[in-house]
Amino acid sequence: MDDSPILTVTGLEAGVADEDLDILKGVDLAIRPGEIHAIMGPNGSGKSTLAKVIAGHPEYEATDGSAEFNGEDLLEMEPDERAQAGVFMAFQYPVEIPGVSIANFMRTALQSRLEDGEELDLFDFQELLMERMELLDMDVSFAQRPVNDGFSGGEKKRNEILQMAVLKPSLAVMDETDSGLDIDALKIVAHGVNTLRQENPEMSVLLITHYQRILNHIVPDRVHVMMNGKIVESGGPEIALELEAQGYEEYRKAHAA
Amino acid sequence: MSQATAVREEVRREIGRRAVMETGAGDPAWLRARRDEAWNIYEATPLPSTRSEEWRYTDVARLLPLDELEPAAGGPAHAAALPEELRLAMAQDRESAGRIVDVDGRVVSVELDEALAARGVVLASLREAARAGVPQVEALLATEAVPAADGKFAALNAALWSDGVFLYVPRGVRIDRTIRLSRWVSRPGTATFTRILIVAEEHSQLSFVDEILSPDFPAVTLVNTAVELFSRGGAQVQYVSLQRMGEGGFYLANQRTLAERDSTLDTLNVALGGSVGRVDLNARLLGPGANSDMLGLYFGDANQHFDFNTSQDHVAPHAHSDLLYKGALDGAARGIFRGIIRVHEGAQGTDAYQTNRNLILSDTAIATSLPNLEIEADDVRCSHGATVGQLDAEALFYLMSRGLRREQAERLVVLGFLGEVLSKLPLGGVVEKVTQAIEAKLRYV
Ligand SMILES: Nc1ncnc2c1ncn2[C@@H]1O[C@H](COP(=O)(O)OP(=O)(O)OP(=O)(O)O)[C@@H](O)[C@H]1O
Ligand SMILES: [Mg+2]
Repeated sequence: MDDSPILTVTGLEAGVADEDLDILKGVDLAIRPGEIHAIMGPNGSGKSTLAKVIAGHPEYEATDGSAEFNGEDLLEMEPDERAQAGVFMAFQYPVEIPGVSIANFMRTALQSRLEDGEELDLFDFQELLMERMELLDMDVSFAQRPVNDGFSGGEKKRNEILQMAVLKPSLAVMDETDSGLDIDALKIVAHGVNTLRQENPEMSVLLITHYQRILNHIVPDRVHVMMNGKIVESGGPEIALELEAQGYEEYRKAHAA
Repeated sequence: MSQATAVREEVRREIGRRAVMETGAGDPAWLRARRDEAWNIYEATPLPSTRSEEWRYTDVARLLPLDELEPAAGGPAHAAALPEELRLAMAQDRESAGRIVDVDGRVVSVELDEALAARGVVLASLREAARAGVPQVEALLATEAVPAADGKFAALNAALWSDGVFLYVPRGVRIDRTIRLSRWVSRPGTATFTRILIVAEEHSQLSFVDEILSPDFPAVTLVNTAVELFSRGGAQVQYVSLQRMGEGGFYLANQRTLAERDSTLDTLNVALGGSVGRVDLNARLLGPGANSDMLGLYFGDANQHFDFNTSQDHVAPHAHSDLLYKGALDGAARGIFRGIIRVHEGAQGTDAYQTNRNLILSDTAIATSLPNLEIEADDVRCSHGATVGQLDAEALFYLMSRGLRREQAERLVVLGFLGEVLSKLPLGGVVEKVTQAIEAKLRYV
């Protein structure tokens, strides 16, 4: 098995495009195929910004450093090209798309992955969608509901994982998917992610969270602490337990802005 | 060598009293008198100017060369075979209870389910119904709903209408399949005047889809339609207009709905084609318990200009009306929505709502939204709202982050936005047809 990283972020600095605002101040991160990395860090430290820069959000601009995905320059790719290459981000705040059903959305997303002139097999698609909804314990009626429109917070999060399960990415960035999920839902989502990993042991996960609890279900290889736009500490799962007990005070002192 | 040729000067017919007489030849006396009087009103009424509030954004003096237009009916007869586009549109329709085909302002065929005809349902060429002395036609044509006195174009139509539809559904007869009018206009530079008169007697039910298509025209080509809809006590009526004319088409419609006690009279106006589309829709709620849902959907690109002027007249107490017009505008298209809710004195317990939403897809498209309220009763529930927005960048990113190309993402957002309107009136085949027409348009954008 080739052990070179699927994602390599080096000295990445980024801010809001057209504004003189630095948010990421030199992030280094390497994730190998099949690895699970967790990022923890206080509010506003730049976790979502890192996720969105990886996914290609047009609002952010990388000003220095690099990000490579399977050896390709990620920062040069459009968001749709990144998705097609296997990047997926579960949004911290999923967006409502009125009038567009989940089924239609996912059908279009899968169709977009095919060559021109190739048609998605609708029967296969239906089967996949149903199977994935079952995996995540979602009612079939969800498929016809407009994307996130009127969904509860927890339903939105679950819908993110449904999309991930349908699209089968090789790198899943999960931005606080656990926030807003009840205890049962958390287990279902974790089970979904673990099932995907069993199906594809090379799938990598970058999991952003505030709570140690999800890491009991999705066990990380590495845990990083992000402060003020930088990764200031990396280690094993024990870091999450320490943070849970002590908070960020120690890091704050050591890495004041 | 010289050759003697008989040069036959073709006399160009024009909009004028002579055309009124020619059009009315063969009509009963009451109808000829009505045409005459309408023409007098037309001549006495000034052309609407942009100085009036209602026509402020649509400059007919500039956009519509009335002097150059030739009345379509009475021109050369259409080819025997229906044009391909019209046949395709008709083939798309799901099962119907009846269909009228109108080419250049003349009904060319009428079909109606025999069982319905046996129960007293009448679907006929309006001209023939008038000539046959159908009493409802004489009583209701251009009298209560869209009389000549309504304005310049109502008068012009009442004077010059050449044909149209008469649909009568007797008391208690409920038609669950749609009745369709398929219209085609073929000749550039013509003016077609059509009327639709629909009477739904007490506790009857019908749905009617009025679809118009045409090729692209090198010159302004007018279609003027007067629509008169009556729903008697407890009746249920749905009227859908699908305007899919080609370039150069100037669509001008006067629609009035009269909803009596406990009846439902819903309308859907879809404007996709033509260069200019102006629809005046007046919904009158005449009895307690009357209900009108008023839906509109427009999608303009290039230089298309759509102007909707709606009013919800609550004459009776305890009636309900709910208007939702949504439009997407691309290119240098222009969309105007002006709507008013009028709650008349004594119309207590009125429930009236009005919403207009616009999605702007380019830097040069413009949407103007002018909602209005006029309330002369207390104890009413009314609201109006208008929005003009652009494609949500966050929504596009969300869709693209799942692999959709930008055009696919935009297409989904636009279809989703407009689809809300269609989902509220899910008539057989209409949703699919309109969705396909929008998709086809989005491909060119
Ligand atoms: N579009 C933006 N415009 C202005 N400031 C922004 C923008 N996006 C992010 N920021 C700022 O950048 C910083 C990092 O934000 P980010 O959302 O990445 O934090 P986070 O670590 O995900 O926080 P949380 O744990 O609360 O989700 C914050 O101070 C935030 O206000
Ligand atoms: Mg965040």
